[in-house]
Amino acid sequence: MTTQLAPNTQSPGEEVAAQCCSSDPGSVPRRTRGRRVVGLLGRRLLMMIPTVVLVSLGVFAVAAASPFDPLTEHLGDDYQSATASQREAVTQAHGLDGHWFGAWWRWWGDVFSGDAGWSSTQSRPVTDVIVDRLPFTLGMSLLALLFATVIAIVVGALTGMRRGGLLDRVCTGVAAMLAATPPFVVSLVLVSVFAVGLGWLPAAGARRPGDAYTVAGLFTHGVLPCLALTISMIPWLLLTMRAAVVDAAASEAVRGARARGIGGWALLRGHVVPVSVLPTLALLGTRLPELVAGAAIVESVFGWPGLAEALVDSAVALDFSLLAPLAVGSAVLVLIGSAVSDAAAVWIDPRIGLRA
Amino acid sequence: MTATIGAAGGTGAAFGRAGRLLPWAVLVVVAAVALGWPMLAGEQAADFGRALRAPGAGTLLGTDHSGYDLGVRTAEGLRISLLIALACAVLATVLGVVVGVASVTAGGWVDAVVMRVVDGVNALPHLVVGVVIAAMWRGEPVAIIASIALTHWPAVARVVRAELLEARTAGWVEAARLAGASRTFIATRHLGPAVGGQVLVAMTVLLPHAVWHETTLSFLGVGLSPDEASLGTLLGQARGDVLTGAWWTLVVPGAALMVTALACAAAASSLRRASAPPAGEVWR
Amino acid sequence: MAADVCLREHVSVTTRIGRRSDRRGRRVLVAALAAAVALVGLAACSGDVGPGRGPTDRIVLAETQAPGEFNPLLGYGRLGVSPIYEGLLTPGADSDERLPDLVPALAASRPERIAPRVWRVPLKTGVTFSDGTPFDSADVVATYRAAVDPAVASAVSTYLAPIVEMKADGPQSVTVTMATDADPSPYLLLGIVPAERVERIPAAQWALNTDPVGTGPYRLDSLDPDQAILVAREDHRDGTPAMRRVVYTHVPDDNSRAQLLQTGEVDGASLPPRLAAGFEGRDDLDVVDVASADWRGVSLPARNDFTADPAARRAMNLGIDRKALVEDVLDGDGEPASTPISRAYGDAYDESAQFPYDRDAAQRVLDAAGWRPGEDGIRVRNGVRASFPLLYNAGDTLRRDLAVAFAAAMKKIGVEVLTRGTSWDEIETKLATAGALLGGGETPYSIDSQVYDALHTRVPGSSPYSNPGDFTAPGLDEVLDAARESAPGPRNDERYRRIQQIYSAEPSQVFLAFVHHTYVARSAGWTHDAPILEPHSHGVIWGPWWNLPSWSPEA
Repeated sequence: MTTQLAPNTQSPGEEVAAQCCSSDPGSVPRRTRGRRVVGLLGRRLLMMIPTVVLVSLGVFAVAAASPFDPLTEHLGDDYQSATASQREAVTQAHGLDGHWFGAWWRWWGDVFSGDAGWSSTQSRPVTDVIVDRLPFTLGMSLLALLFATVIAIVVGALTGMRRGGLLDRVCTGVAAMLAATPPFVVSLVLVSVFAVGLGWLPAAGARRPGDAYTVAGLFTHGVLPCLALTISMIPWLLLTMRAAVVDAAASEAVRGARARGIGGWALLRGHVVPVSVLPTLALLGTRLPELVAGAAIVESVFGWPGLAEALVDSAVALDFSLLAPLAVGSAVLVLIGSAVSDAAAVWIDPRIGLRA
Repeated sequence: MTATIGAAGGTGAAFGRAGRLLPWAVLVVVAAVALGWPMLAGEQAADFGRALRAPGAGTLLGTDHSGYDLGVRTAEGLRISLLIALACAVLATVLGVVVGVASVTAGGWVDAVVMRVVDGVNALPHLVVGVVIAAMWRGEPVAIIASIALTHWPAVARVVRAELLEARTAGWVEAARLAGASRTFIATRHLGPAVGGQVLVAMTVLLPHAVWHETTLSFLGVGLSPDEASLGTLLGQARGDVLTGAWWTLVVPGAALMVTALACAAAASSLRRASAPPAGEVWR
Repeated sequence: MAADVCLREHVSVTTRIGRRSDRRGRRVLVAALAAAVALVGLAACSGDVGPGRGPTDRIVLAETQAPGEFNPLLGYGRLGVSPIYEGLLTPGADSDERLPDLVPALAASRPERIAPRVWRVPLKTGVTFSDGTPFDSADVVATYRAAVDPAVASAVSTYLAPIVEMKADGPQSVTVTMATDADPSPYLLLGIVPAERVERIPAAQWALNTDPVGTGPYRLDSLDPDQAILVAREDHRDGTPAMRRVVYTHVPDDNSRAQLLQTGEVDGASLPPRLAAGFEGRDDLDVVDVASADWRGVSLPARNDFTADPAARRAMNLGIDRKALVEDVLDGDGEPASTPISRAYGDAYDESAQFPYDRDAAQRVLDAAGWRPGEDGIRVRNGVRASFPLLYNAGDTLRRDLAVAFAAAMKKIGVEVLTRGTSWDEIETKLATAGALLGGGETPYSIDSQVYDALHTRVPGSSPYSNPGDFTAPGLDEVLDAARESAPGPRNDERYRRIQQIYSAEPSQVFLAFVHHTYVARSAGWTHDAPILEPHSHGVIWGPWWNLPSWSPEA
C-alpha cells in the first residue's frame, strides 16, 4: 500500500488531475516529448543496475547476519534428531560455511552461467521454480489488474459525474471499507462463504488433486483468487479515477463544452474521460508494489502455485537462494513500473518537467 | 489509503461538521476499549475446556481457540497491535524527518544521492522486506517494529524534504530573514510548523498501514508469537476455527481491525484537509 | 474550500448529464452485473466440486510434506511401511493397542541366532525391484552400509547404531552382528534400495529421491513439485493391488487440507484433532483416530535454578492434569504420558509409576523445598523466582496449545512459564536456558530406542534434543544401559519397570501425553486393514493407508 502523504508530492499524473485549467499541452512538439521520454527511461534503466547490485548484496548480507541456521531447511524434520556429525556432513556437502561476500560473488557467477542454485523450500532448482510458477502469477495478476482497472474506470467515471448521488455514496463507502481491509481478510471471507459455506467453487490449488492442469480447471480454481486480488486493487484506482473525473468535470474545457450544449454521454466520452483516464492509467505502474503484496497474500491463502507465494515462503523460511532472485526481480519490476508510469505521464502531459 | 478517503471527500463531506469529528471520536473509543477492557477484566487464564463457545450465555462475544474470552482477547490484541503500530509510526517518522532535514540542509549532491537511496528503498516490496526481517528474529516485537519502520521511512523523508524545500523559499521566510531573524528563530517559528503539520499527517497515515503490516506478518506466521494476542494471530487462528463453525473468531477481530483502520484513515484525511491547501487553489 | 464551492455550482449541470446517460449508464451496469453472475455461474457448473467422481480404483491423499524424497535413508519407509519400499521385516497387527509384531517381508523367516550377538536372516527368492532387477543380499548390505556412511549423512544412522555389521552370506541371506544381546528385529525394518542406486554423496542429493526403485507393490508414475502419483506394479510377487492409483498432493497448511476434504477434492488427510472433530457425523467421511507412541513433553533447562531442583521437577509433574489436557487440547485423542513408555508396551509398562494429578501435593512439595509464594503469586526461594521460558515450534498449533495449557496449569501452582513460538534453530541454541515443547517416538518398535535417548544422560554425538536438560535420577543410567544390552524377555521388562519407578521419583522432564493421530478418510466401498500403532510420523503414509495393498472393494 503506497501512501500519498501530501498533495505537493503527488506524482505528475495526479498533478495533472489536480490542475483544472492550464496552458495548452499541444504547444510542446511531439519530438521533444519523445526525446524526454526516452531520456527518462534511459536514466531509470541505468539506475536499475546499482539498485540490483545493492539489493542482491543486501539479501546476502542479511542472510549472513541472521541468527537463522540454514541447516534447518536442509535437514527438515530430522533436524531435531540429527547429531552433530550429521550436521557437519550436511554443512560440508552444501557449502554452508564461508563468507557471505564470497557467496554473493559466486551466486552472480552462477546466475550468469545459467545456474541459479537450489531452492530448499521447493526442493528443486531455482530456475525450474521460476519458470513453472511465473505463468500462474502473471496470468492471475494481470487479469486481476485488468478487471480492477476496467471496473474502477467505469464506476469511477459514473460516480464522478454524479457526485453526491446514491451510487456515489455507496461506491465510495464500499471502496473506503475495502481499502481498510487487508487482502487476507477478503480472501478468508471469500473462502468461507463461497468455497466452504456454499460449496460453489474450490477452496485451494489450481487444479483438482490428481488431475492434470486443464483450462476449465484453472478457470474454476482461479475465480476466487482473481476476485480477491481484484477487490484489493479496486479501491485506490476507483477513487483516483473519481477524483480525476470530478476535477475534469469542473475544468474550464468541460465548462466550455457544456456551454456549447454538449452533454451526457458525448461529454463523458469526448471531454472528461480522455483527461482523466490517461493519468489514472499512467499511475498503474505505481500500484505494482501493492499488486505484488496482494498477489503474495492471495496466493498463500488460496494455495495458487504462483511466484508470489514462493516469494513469501522463501522469505518466511529464509531460503536465500530462492529469495535473492525473486527479491531482485520484484524490485526491478517495481522500478520498471514506476519508470513506465512516469514516462507515460511525461508523454501525456509535457507540462510535467520530469527529467529523471 | 488516505488518498482514497481524502479523494472521497472524507467523512466531513458525508456527514458535515459532526462528521469531521467522527473519526477522532471512534479512535478515542477504540483506544479506550483497547486499554480499558483488559484492565477491567483482569488476569486472563487459558482454559481449553471452555474453548470455542458461541457468543451468548456466559461470554459477551464467545471464546477463542484457547478458551480466552474473545472480547477481552480482541481488546488485548488491539492494544498490542496499536502499540506496535504507534511505535512503528513514530520510529519511521523520526527516521524520515532526520533524513529529510539532513538531506535538505546538506544540499547539493548529498541531497541528490540521498533522494536516490530513498527511491531505491521505496522500490523494494514492503511486504517481502518486512517478512525477511521479521522472519530472522521470530517473535520479537522489536524485529516487527523495525521491519515496518525501515520500509516506511522513505515516504516521510520525501514529504519532509518537499515541505522544507518549499517553505525555505516561501515569501514569509524571505521576509523574516530580511528583517534580521536568526536561523534558529526561522527554523523553530517558520519552518517547524510548516513541516510539523505534514509530519503529523504522515504519522497518522502510517498508523493503519502499520497495523495492516503487523496483522499480515502475524498471519503469515512471522509476526508475534502465536500464543500472544494480536489481531494478526487471532485472525490467523480464526482461519482454522471458522472451518469448525466458529464464525465469531473471524468476525470480532476482523471488525475491530476494519473499524480501527477506517477511523485512522479518515482521521488522517481530515488532518490533511485541515493542514494542506485543497487542489486547484493558488496560494504559493 | 473554494474548489468545493466551485464544484457545487456545477451540480445542476451534472444532473443534466444524468438525464441522457441515465438509461445508457444503467444498461451498462446491468450488463456488467449480468456478465459477472454468468461467469460465476459458469464456473460453478463446469467445476467438478462434488465428491470424487473419478475412477473408483484411485485415491487422492493430501500430504503435509512435499513429494520428492522417496529414499529410506532420508526417512521415507524407515520402519518398513511405505508403498514403494519394503524392509527385511515389517510391522503387522490387527489393532493399534499394542506393539505390532515384526513379520518377515523381504526376509524368508524371522532372524535366527547363530552365535552370541550374531543373527542370520534368510531372504526371499524371486523378488524383483520395480525396474526389473532382481533382489539379493548385496542390496541389503549396500543399503545398511550406506545408512551408516558419514558421506551419505543419512537421517537413520543413529537409529541403526546397535548393528555393528551386516554381511552377505551368499546371495539369499545376510548375517547381522549386533553390539548388544537385544533382538535385531526392530532394526531390520529399513526399506531396501538397489545396490546400484547407492551413491557416496549426501542422501539429499541422490537421484533415487525423485526416481525411486523399490520392491514394494507400487512404483512412482509421475512427480510434480506439488503432486506425486503412484501406480500399482503389475509384476509384484504378491499380485497387483486393487487400489491402482494413489495421488499424493502437497498441502502443507492444515486449514487448506480441511477445506479440500470439505469440498470433496481429496479422499484423505491427517488433521489436528480439533479440526478433524469438525468432520464427525458426516456420512461420506470417517474420522479415524489411531493410537501412537508419539509423545509430547516439556524439556527443562539445565541452567535454571528452579528446574535444577529435583523437587521442583517432581512438583511440576504432579501439578499438571494430563487427563484434562488430553480431553480439552487433544479432544480426547490421546493418552496421558508420565514416561515415554505407553500401555502398548505390555508388561514393560508400570501403572504405579504414572504421576497422579494432585495440585495440593505439588504445592506441598514446593513449600517443603523452600519455594514460597511471592507477592505476584510466583514462588521465590532465596531471591530466585520459579520461572523459565518455554519455546515451541511456531508453525505447530498442537505444540502451541500444549505449551499454553501447560503454562496455565503451572500458573496455578505458582510457577511462571513464559511461552514463546519460534523456529527450531533458535530453540536449539537456547536449550540450556529455556524449556522446549518436544516430541518423540520416531522409532517405537523397540522399547530401547523409544526410551534410551530421552531418559539417559547426554552422550557425545547425540542429538541436542535428547534429554537437553541432562538431568537424571540416581541409578537410572545404569539400568538403562543394562536394559539396552540385554535380550528381551520378562527380566528386561522388569528392568524397564524399574526404570519408570526410578524416573518417577526424580523426573528429568515433564512428559505430557501420547497424541493419537487423527485422519479423515473417505473409505466408502472399500475394506482395509485397521491401522497399527504409529510412530512420530507426519503424513498419510500411515493411518488407514498404511497398508494400501490391503484395500479391496467391498463385496
